[in-house]
Amino acid sequence: MSQDQAKPAPFRLAPVLRSIDPAIATAFACIVALLLVGSLYSSNFLSADYLLQQIQVGSFLAMAATGMMIVVLLGQIDLSVPWVMTVGAMMSTAAAGWGPVGSWCAIPIGILCGMLFGLVNGIGVAYLRVPSMIFTLGTNAVAQGLMIMRTGGAAPQDMATAAMRTLATGRVVADIPNALWIWMLIGVSTVFLLRRTTFGRSVYAIGNSERAAYLSGSRTRRITVLAFVMSGALSAFGGVLLAGYSTKAYQGMGDPYLLPAIAAVVLGGTSILGGRGTYLGTVAGVILITLLQSILSIMQIDESIRQIVYGLTIILMLLLYGRSAILRT
Amino acid sequence: MDAPVPLFAMTGISKRYGGVKALDKASLALHAGRIHALLGENGAGKSTLIKIMSGVVQPDEGSLEFDGRAVRFPAPAAANDAGIVCIFQELSLIPDLSVADNIFIAMPPRRFGLIDRKTQRRMAEEWLALAGAEDVHPLAPVKDLPLSRRQMVEIAKALARRPRILILDEATSALTAADVGKILAVLKRLRSEGLALLYISHRMQEIEELADDCTIFRNGCNVASYPAGTKSHGEVVELMIGREYSHVFPPKPPPVQAATPPILEARGLTWTNRLRDISLAVRPGEIVGLGGLDGQGQRELLLALFGVLRGVTGEIRIEGSPVAIGGPSAAKAARIGMALIPEDRKTEGLMLPMSVRDNLSFAALGGLSTGGFIDRTAEARAVDEMLRLLAIKTEGIDVPVATLSGGNQQKVVIAKWLMMAPRIILLNDPTRGIDVGTKQEIYQLLRQLADRGVAILFYSTDYDELIGCCERVLVLYDGRIGRELAGNELTERALVGSALNIATDTEEAGYAPAIGA
Repeated sequence: MSQDQAKPAPFRLAPVLRSIDPAIATAFACIVALLLVGSLYSSNFLSADYLLQQIQVGSFLAMAATGMMIVVLLGQIDLSVPWVMTVGAMMSTAAAGWGPVGSWCAIPIGILCGMLFGLVNGIGVAYLRVPSMIFTLGTNAVAQGLMIMRTGGAAPQDMATAAMRTLATGRVVADIPNALWIWMLIGVSTVFLLRRTTFGRSVYAIGNSERAAYLSGSRTRRITVLAFVMSGALSAFGGVLLAGYSTKAYQGMGDPYLLPAIAAVVLGGTSILGGRGTYLGTVAGVILITLLQSILSIMQIDESIRQIVYGLTIILMLLLYGRSAILRT
Repeated sequence: MDAPVPLFAMTGISKRYGGVKALDKASLALHAGRIHALLGENGAGKSTLIKIMSGVVQPDEGSLEFDGRAVRFPAPAAANDAGIVCIFQELSLIPDLSVADNIFIAMPPRRFGLIDRKTQRRMAEEWLALAGAEDVHPLAPVKDLPLSRRQMVEIAKALARRPRILILDEATSALTAADVGKILAVLKRLRSEGLALLYISHRMQEIEELADDCTIFRNGCNVASYPAGTKSHGEVVELMIGREYSHVFPPKPPPVQAATPPILEARGLTWTNRLRDISLAVRPGEIVGLGGLDGQGQRELLLALFGVLRGVTGEIRIEGSPVAIGGPSAAKAARIGMALIPEDRKTEGLMLPMSVRDNLSFAALGGLSTGGFIDRTAEARAVDEMLRLLAIKTEGIDVPVATLSGGNQQKVVIAKWLMMAPRIILLNDPTRGIDVGTKQEIYQLLRQLADRGVAILFYSTDYDELIGCCERVLVLYDGRIGRELAGNELTERALVGSALNIATDTEEAGYAPAIGA
């Protein structure tokens, strides 16, 4: 009955309110809350410089999370993120060891290797019909083995090129980290891809009902392969940036990125079952996770406790709003 | 009504979803030992009413009385405990469990705390027999059963809960004439045992045969309640749709000349043991029906033509030249131009949570984009045109398609294929569970399309529909075309007959179907 009384007013407001996803709103509210908590520990926490630095670090996660989001929207998952990141980093730094030509094409080579792993993932999931959860876990292990094999005998070049370092740590335009510019570029392209292209529309359609999408004449397998290739490329690029940031590539450098990548996507309101979610949410998720990690490191507590708090906080936030909403019909 | 205190009464029930009023001060009274028919177009509020009765949704206002006492059902379990059991339009069975497991899903018979499979199986057999489905094996997985058998299992499952009030929402819409006959007999027996039944169906003959009382819903209100048989067919339909009810089926044009070359031709189509040597031809401008009992290969035939099934042998010819159709994306390509309106709009036809716009334009997206980039203006124009052409009722093009009524959802499924201007349209039971008004619009639309030279292959479980719409009907039996009926031979008697006559050595043998008078 209260709805009856409220009837005349919300005509202008309602569409605006309705268009804001409650999950994204909650994510941004959590970001504000984290900033407030952080400012209790250190007054630096709210300074523009510190925040830009956080976003710079977060942009590596953002690359992996972007790829993960596309795959999750399909209703699949990519668990090969950690070692594909490492592959991207290690292959690009290795290419840099081939002399001037190598260092010039180091970054494309890293990304290309990521795409190859994505292609294998996509073929396995789309054509061989292996569940992505197990197939991508398998490719992750294969990637790990290949990388260990490479570094077993010889010691390949592992220093990042100047270009990689500039991309990851430099501030060329307007004193804003280059990494943030890259994230913005990738973000805008992803939003465009998801909203304005047949590929994006198909991704959402397959995530909602693969059968309906297939019967509508959508080339569902091709789309699935393409999504995994993108995920591989973005993960590898994230690894390249990370290598640039830490000046070298090393074994296991992607390992701490799997849970954050999935958590960022889900905390941003993307349904883990596919078909629903916006890029803005993933942006919020990435910032949220990055700030959480940052606060935990400021708090100067034992690493083991930090891990526990980190895991629990993610679970708590998922309980808060990450559960799939019941569709109203 | 001069009957005593009703067993169950609802008064002044209102319910709104967002801005849409689903029910507006509606009331309903059910009496023990009577069958109450609920009539109304889709979107009239019937589904919401029974969801409130069975505790699935809560009313915004109004009161419920059971046995003269005020009650509330905060959850479906509460309504179940009170003895209200509902058979929903959407099937509620779990495909990977066996029939017996499904029937006793909520309260399996136990022994030492474990499920007593033997007793469960025996009891399942009994309930299946009571539901008139003794031919269903209790240990068969539900996913292996055709839709009509599943519906019978659904009814057995409801009976096993020993209801005092049984609600059937379109429970017969997926059934063949023979099954409907069995169900009607079961329902009559339940009535004589003192149950109150609420029966929702779009099939008039069933209502005429069963109902003691009728209530008509329109736009969320009960517009009329009357003892069965006191209103004419025409009056009832008029009350339901609120407009003059004239010819349901558009007049048929003279038959397409036999000399016209067919656009779609199949020769010797065979697939496992479901399709056997099927040959057919459809000419431009023709509506060809597929008839027969449910599950005789009609669905598989449509899927085979559309390239969905793997391992089909035989030949498909388009305009006389053989083609290989590798899948839906090949079938919809311009040189073939084929569309399939699938059987289950909720899982096969639509992406329910996605917007009306996204659903409408999805199949035709290739033509509305250049180099993979969607042309938003062209898309909006095409969507708008379809909304007008099919008179789709929706709050806007950005609302999820799930919020539309069943009939309007079906229109979206059809419209999304019309958008790419197909030359051949395959329809798989497109009017199942939708209201009279929408059905009529669909018949008219099919005729218009045929007049424009589209070839239509049309499977329906409703014999009236086949007779009213089609020039020719191919009656399938056991994966073969048993008989072709055309012109004056096309009568309900002939359709039922040819569907059954051949069936001399099967389980359906000897069963006399109830032929609508």
